[in-house]
Amino acid sequence: MERPKNKIWDVKARRLELVNDTYLGYIVLMILCAIWFFASKNIKSELILPSFEKTAVEFLTGWTNKRVMTNFWITLKRVLLGVGYAIVVGTIIGIGMGYSKKVYNALSPIINSIRQIPIMTWVPLSIIWFGLGEGPTIFLIFMSAVFPLTINVIDGVANIDQNLVYASRSMGASLSDIIRDIILPGAFPSFLTGVRLAIGGGWQSVI
Amino acid sequence: MECLKIDNITKVYKGNKKEPDKIVLKDISFSINEGEFVCLLGPSGCGKTTLLTMMGGFLEPTSGKILLDGNEIKGPGSERGYVFQNYALFPWMTVKENIAYGLKFSTKTKEEKEERVKYLINMARLNGNEKKFPIQLSGGMQQRVAVARALAGFPRVLLLDEPLGAIDFQMRELLQNELDQMVQEAHITAVMVTHDVSESVFMSDRVIVLGNNHGHIVSDYKIDLPRRRDRESEEFKKCVTELTSLVRIAFNENITAGEACIMKRRK
Ligand SMILES: Nc1ncnc2c1ncn2[C@@H]1O[C@H](COP(=O)(O)OP(=O)(O)O)[C@@H](O)[C@H]1O
Ligand SMILES: [Mg+2]
Repeated sequence: MERPKNKIWDVKARRLELVNDTYLGYIVLMILCAIWFFASKNIKSELILPSFEKTAVEFLTGWTNKRVMTNFWITLKRVLLGVGYAIVVGTIIGIGMGYSKKVYNALSPIINSIRQIPIMTWVPLSIIWFGLGEGPTIFLIFMSAVFPLTINVIDGVANIDQNLVYASRSMGASLSDIIRDIILPGAFPSFLTGVRLAIGGGWQSVI
Repeated sequence: MECLKIDNITKVYKGNKKEPDKIVLKDISFSINEGEFVCLLGPSGCGKTTLLTMMGGFLEPTSGKILLDGNEIKGPGSERGYVFQNYALFPWMTVKENIAYGLKFSTKTKEEKEERVKYLINMARLNGNEKKFPIQLSGGMQQRVAVARALAGFPRVLLLDEPLGAIDFQMRELLQNELDQMVQEAHITAVMVTHDVSESVFMSDRVIVLGNNHGHIVSDYKIDLPRRRDRESEEFKKCVTELTSLVRIAFNENITAGEACIMKRRK
């Protein structure tokens, strides 16, 4: 079936476009590697710039190294968990704040002040709260993922044409019908952007 | 029989630090009979949309009330179908899903709903376009989907806010014919906002002309011509001429009110 050519609703097509052009990214990557290769030949100091060949070998053997891989999976699991919690919390808060001006005014001062706290300052507190296990890491990933997500969901919901909500109300839709039929699909593109930023933010706070 | 009653409506938009309160409508009263097609005609900015939005129940009057069959309107409801100025079709739903949404919350059986959607698609001449998305449709088709969706749940009244406002002049008369046909077939009471005089004469049994002086009713004009009106006939042209001068009066009221305002400030 033909997809509508709509700026917002072309999520799928937009990704297809990216796929068609990804070879450009690989070319740039190859050029950078080549520059690295020749530069390290000239510099000859492993401390300033390690040689390209050695790094490449390490990178490739890493994928088959058991210790590296178990750590990779542990990290991936933490990121998924942290981002997962962020998606649940961020979506709920985001819908509330985007839909209702009252909820927005009630929550925005506290959210905007917590948002400014640098992520590393949470480290001691999170260890006190969650002990020394997985808890603090997942919490930190959550903290850096939840705000980009919330803000994008708020934006997506607030930008839905008010008449769409009116229209569904005049057909007898209740609040939960409106959220399911209008708010969720209407805010979906912004939600996806939020998830992308959240995953990015999550990875960056992995320690 | 009286169907819709506008009873002494006043609407004030609350201002803020920079802008004072704005009285858009003041003490407006009229009523609409069952089966009547009424146009609200008036210069842009005189409060037509505000009044219709209150009939839809999306906005509360500051004072006064609106009654439908004797019951005060308090919020939107399925007994009033609404066609928005920008159609407000759901972009992620197909034509068929959009129309079916108008029935989604009714108590009818699945078969009855299916039957109704089929009938509406036929009536709006959308056959073959059921699976298209709104963005793929022409303006005229979007308009027909919006009307079909609003009619789906058998509302008591149909409210239309400049449904042809965005359509260019050449297409307009054609779409007026279509809209006229759909509304006549549905045998429904309707209120339509427009600023196009000829459109109001073509479509309505009664034209209420609002002035910009707080929506003051300049004229309540009856049009008693036989249906599928002939735009070239003498009677039609006479109505257009008379209404045009009434709209001019409505517009001048606006200017006088504006000038009065400026004069006051100068003093
Ligand atoms: N939400 C609002 N807040 C403040 N003023 C408004 C609002 N909506 C409309 N107005 C003002 O009320 C007046 C009437 O608007 P409207 O009902 O849309 O007029 P019309 O549909 O006749 O063109 C306009 O001057 C407009 O600027
Ligand atoms: Mg308007």
